[in-house]
Amino acid sequence: MDFGALLLTLVTFAPLLGAAALLLVKPEQKNALRWVALITALVTFGISLGLLAIFNPADAIRIDLPWLSVAGWNVHYHLALDGLSILLVLLTTLLTPLAILSTWTSVEDRVRQFMAFFLMLETGMLGVFLAQDLFLFYIFWEFTLVPMYFLIGIWGGERRIYAAVKFFLYTMAGSVLMLVALLWLGTQYNTFSLPELIAQRANIPPQAQTWLFLAFALAFAIKVPMWPLHTWLPDAHVEAPTAGSVILAGVLLKMGTYGFLRFNLTLFPQASWEFSPWMALLAIIGILYGALVSYAQTDAKKLVAYSSVSHLGFVMLGLFALNQQGIQGALLQMINHGLSTGALFLMVGMLYERRHTRALDAFGGLWKVIPVFGTLLLIVSLSSVGLPGLNGFIGEFTILLGAAGSDALGNAWNQIVTALGVSFIPMRSAGGLWFAGFAALGVIFAAAYLLQMYQKICLGALKAENQNLKDLSWREIITLLPLLVLIFWIGLYPKPFIDLIAPAINQMLGY
Amino acid sequence: MFVPFDSTMLLAILPEILLVVLAGVVLALDAAWQPEKRRWLGWLTVVGLAVAFILTATVSQPESEPRLLFGGMLRDDWLSFAFRLVFLFGAAITTLFAMDHEALGRKGEFYVLLLVSTLGMNLMASAGDLIMLYLAIETTSIPLYILAGFITTDDKSTEAGFKYLLFGAMTSAVMLYGFSLLYGFSGETNLYLLAGKLGELPMPALLGSLLLVLVGFSFKVSAVPFHFWAPDVYEGAPTPVAGFLSTASKAAGFAVLMRVLLAAFPAALPSWQGLIALLAVVTMTVGNLLALAQTNVKRLLAFSSIAHAGYILIGVVAVNAAGMNLGMASVVFYLIAYLLTNLAAFGAVATFGRVSGSDEMDAYKGLSRRSPALALVMLVAFLSLSGMPPFGGFIAKVFVFAAAVEANWIWLAVIGVLNSIIGLYYYLTLLKYVYLYRQDNLEEEQKPLPISRPYALALVLLVIGIILLGTAFNPWFEWSRTAAASLF
Amino acid sequence: MIPVEYYLGLSAIMFVIGALGVMVRRNPLVIFMSVELMLNSANLVFVAFAHAYQVLDGQVFVFFVMTVAAAEVAIGLALIVSIFRSKHNINADTVNELKG
Repeated sequence: MDFGALLLTLVTFAPLLGAAALLLVKPEQKNALRWVALITALVTFGISLGLLAIFNPADAIRIDLPWLSVAGWNVHYHLALDGLSILLVLLTTLLTPLAILSTWTSVEDRVRQFMAFFLMLETGMLGVFLAQDLFLFYIFWEFTLVPMYFLIGIWGGERRIYAAVKFFLYTMAGSVLMLVALLWLGTQYNTFSLPELIAQRANIPPQAQTWLFLAFALAFAIKVPMWPLHTWLPDAHVEAPTAGSVILAGVLLKMGTYGFLRFNLTLFPQASWEFSPWMALLAIIGILYGALVSYAQTDAKKLVAYSSVSHLGFVMLGLFALNQQGIQGALLQMINHGLSTGALFLMVGMLYERRHTRALDAFGGLWKVIPVFGTLLLIVSLSSVGLPGLNGFIGEFTILLGAAGSDALGNAWNQIVTALGVSFIPMRSAGGLWFAGFAALGVIFAAAYLLQMYQKICLGALKAENQNLKDLSWREIITLLPLLVLIFWIGLYPKPFIDLIAPAINQMLGY
Repeated sequence: MFVPFDSTMLLAILPEILLVVLAGVVLALDAAWQPEKRRWLGWLTVVGLAVAFILTATVSQPESEPRLLFGGMLRDDWLSFAFRLVFLFGAAITTLFAMDHEALGRKGEFYVLLLVSTLGMNLMASAGDLIMLYLAIETTSIPLYILAGFITTDDKSTEAGFKYLLFGAMTSAVMLYGFSLLYGFSGETNLYLLAGKLGELPMPALLGSLLLVLVGFSFKVSAVPFHFWAPDVYEGAPTPVAGFLSTASKAAGFAVLMRVLLAAFPAALPSWQGLIALLAVVTMTVGNLLALAQTNVKRLLAFSSIAHAGYILIGVVAVNAAGMNLGMASVVFYLIAYLLTNLAAFGAVATFGRVSGSDEMDAYKGLSRRSPALALVMLVAFLSLSGMPPFGGFIAKVFVFAAAVEANWIWLAVIGVLNSIIGLYYYLTLLKYVYLYRQDNLEEEQKPLPISRPYALALVLLVIGIILLGTAFNPWFEWSRTAAASLF
Repeated sequence: MIPVEYYLGLSAIMFVIGALGVMVRRNPLVIFMSVELMLNSANLVFVAFAHAYQVLDGQVFVFFVMTVAAAEVAIGLALIVSIFRSKHNINADTVNELKG
């Protein structure tokens, strides 16, 4: 086992070890528990940086050991870090310590269990991003559910139990059909290994490919969540504790988009091509719907939650443009959404800690009393809007370019136009542009709802009860700082990030 | 195939001999000892069963080729070997749960009946002849009737025993009529000789007698429509006994079901596959849907146990004539995982019920604050029941569904996974009470909840087992496969 | 000699009567008698075929069945007595502490 392989195993299971270590600390020593969890998360982040240091974009870091092999069953302990997963792994290991830091004063009840569940969740998420064996992937996929269920159910808001159960059942309902699909693949081709299945994908009969695509897509679409399967998301987000929301929006939703990228696009290219206009259509509906509903929200957290539906629509559009630009943009946008929305949830959580409400009309004019908060919120909101110079712009712009130039979407458009008998030439030549055009409306809407939120919170008349709000503490600033640095970095100089992911995407498309 | 008698054959029935000896010793000491010393009878039984387990595992391993011993009465193969170990383990755990039970712990006859019933299960798993099979089933059932009605001062318990007896006697009579027809049509009582003669029989006669036989087996495994007894009996019977009924007794039923279907009815394979598939669908759906409405944990577990019988039947359907696929192996694996998981669930319920005196879900509110350790056991057990990784129940379900997919019963697997979502819902409901709800009176949560030593030992063993099955499942599955392969 | 089909027919009739009795009657003692009837219908088949085939297996089976039936009834009566003690009534409909 070489060094990289060792690090892969370590990064995945270090949080679990940390969770076990928590059992050695007495439940009353809350600060000790917090420190143990934070240090574990930081060590995990350190290991992932180590992986980044030895990472070569052209080649994956891999560990592949047989786990079970009887009667034509070949389940492997197979983890790999490649261009598709590295940024998501880094995002996970970065957001976890920040989220833990954000709970320092807000979680007082059952700290030990909270931290244990949180770290278990991290192991599950990292496993999902790293697993290269379908069986192993499914185990990690399901493994993330239980900790999140408890994080929402125990430490959540008023309707936490309803939200937790809804979250669990929705996700589970989607993923069981994926289980049947992957069992079919595993028994049919005697392997669960993703690279081996990709090598054999030409042998999958077209009709089976369609069904398999749909089974996988259902699981991932619920997780993303794509319109119209998104209804669990607002509930889960609103009721989850701040740290839970950060991880939910920042990482858990990416498991869905990542699943599309890693499994649907690579295993079933033919079906992906056929379904791409439909997926793009759902994505655009999601973009516009999410944006409009966001605009109507009066609860800050709910607003940010619906904005996720909109932003992830962009990611899906990029993925199903099925070209290099689209996928590259989608992958970048996954990271950007994790950073921006993560930061937004953190800041809404900070407001909530101070005022115990998230209603937008309870605030106003906060700029005057807490200027640091106001400045940071402005930056984060603008990054989420997609202002040039900040990270959101890079992702969304690349996605729109990808969609506009997409063969898959353009082709579909032409077919529709031909079927309708329209002979107006410009419509024919640039079919993808129509998809991009509608999606671009989403950017404008985003500006509307986010700036409206900003306006209601920070501008206008100051209410009497908000006069004595305390500005951000050092701990809170430290929590936000890494996110802000990355927001500017990706926005101004995205090349290092693109260099990390581009070779893998080219390789994937060139199979 | 038939082996003439020699003294080494006795080695093949060593576990049964040890059980009889142990039962005799317990019975004698029960008479000889003063009442206050009798708690030691429990430990004696546990140690005896552990010794029997170890000796069986090491000394009486079957030979590589299956043999028919004692004039064809018993079949010595890996399947019976595997199941005997499962039964011995289950009995030992049940003893641990019973030891501190007020009404059971100091009664010698309780342990004797448990041992005799285990003996019957051992024979069920290895029976190779209709006569032996019938006797084994009755040797298992009759002590279980008494055990279910053991607490004569409790109306619910006697009623449970009574209902169990009535249903059991009737279904076993139907099954016996099926046996008599099989004998009538073939002139043979040996299962392995039956197959040859039955092949020539017209299909209606064959299926008719198969149906009658299936009635008896469905009762044993609590498959719909012979499941009515389960909820009542589980609720009324002492909790450790209910645990034993739902695991070891069910496993024994499946061992017999598999052996009889494959040994005596290979000729009708496509027909009974369809029949069992139907049975599986109805069983899991009815079990799961009825479980949704339950407020008593033991009744919930009863319906869940019916549903699980349905999942296991999927594995039985997925068998193919060549026998080298996952079908039967997945059944054996599932039964092992289910035994560990459900014993843990019933053990936790018994531990809780002993202190709180209630099995209602409401009483479980805030349990995670009152006793984090017990709550954790319940978490592991119920998540494993619902089929979440990384626990044994997950792997077991996956194997059963994979077997169905592999054998091209994809629609059956789809119904199975959809059912497991319903299952998830009610298991989560209970976990909601344990973890998310609080007692109305918060002082209730401060009351201590002692877990006595036998309970702790058994629960720790089971939890470790569940996690092992879910993570290091390779050797276990290899074992199940060897056992299943010896059926053919 | 009476053909074996006649025995089979008689046993089938006995079996159906027994099964109906179990389902219809509410007195546990009568239910037990009906179960006995079912068991004996099986016994009849065993004996008839053992005679027809001229092999002993069937006869042996009958002995075991009779023993088992005796054991079952003994347990059943014990349980009935213990129910009677608390309820002073053994009608199967009044045994309804449990919901089923």
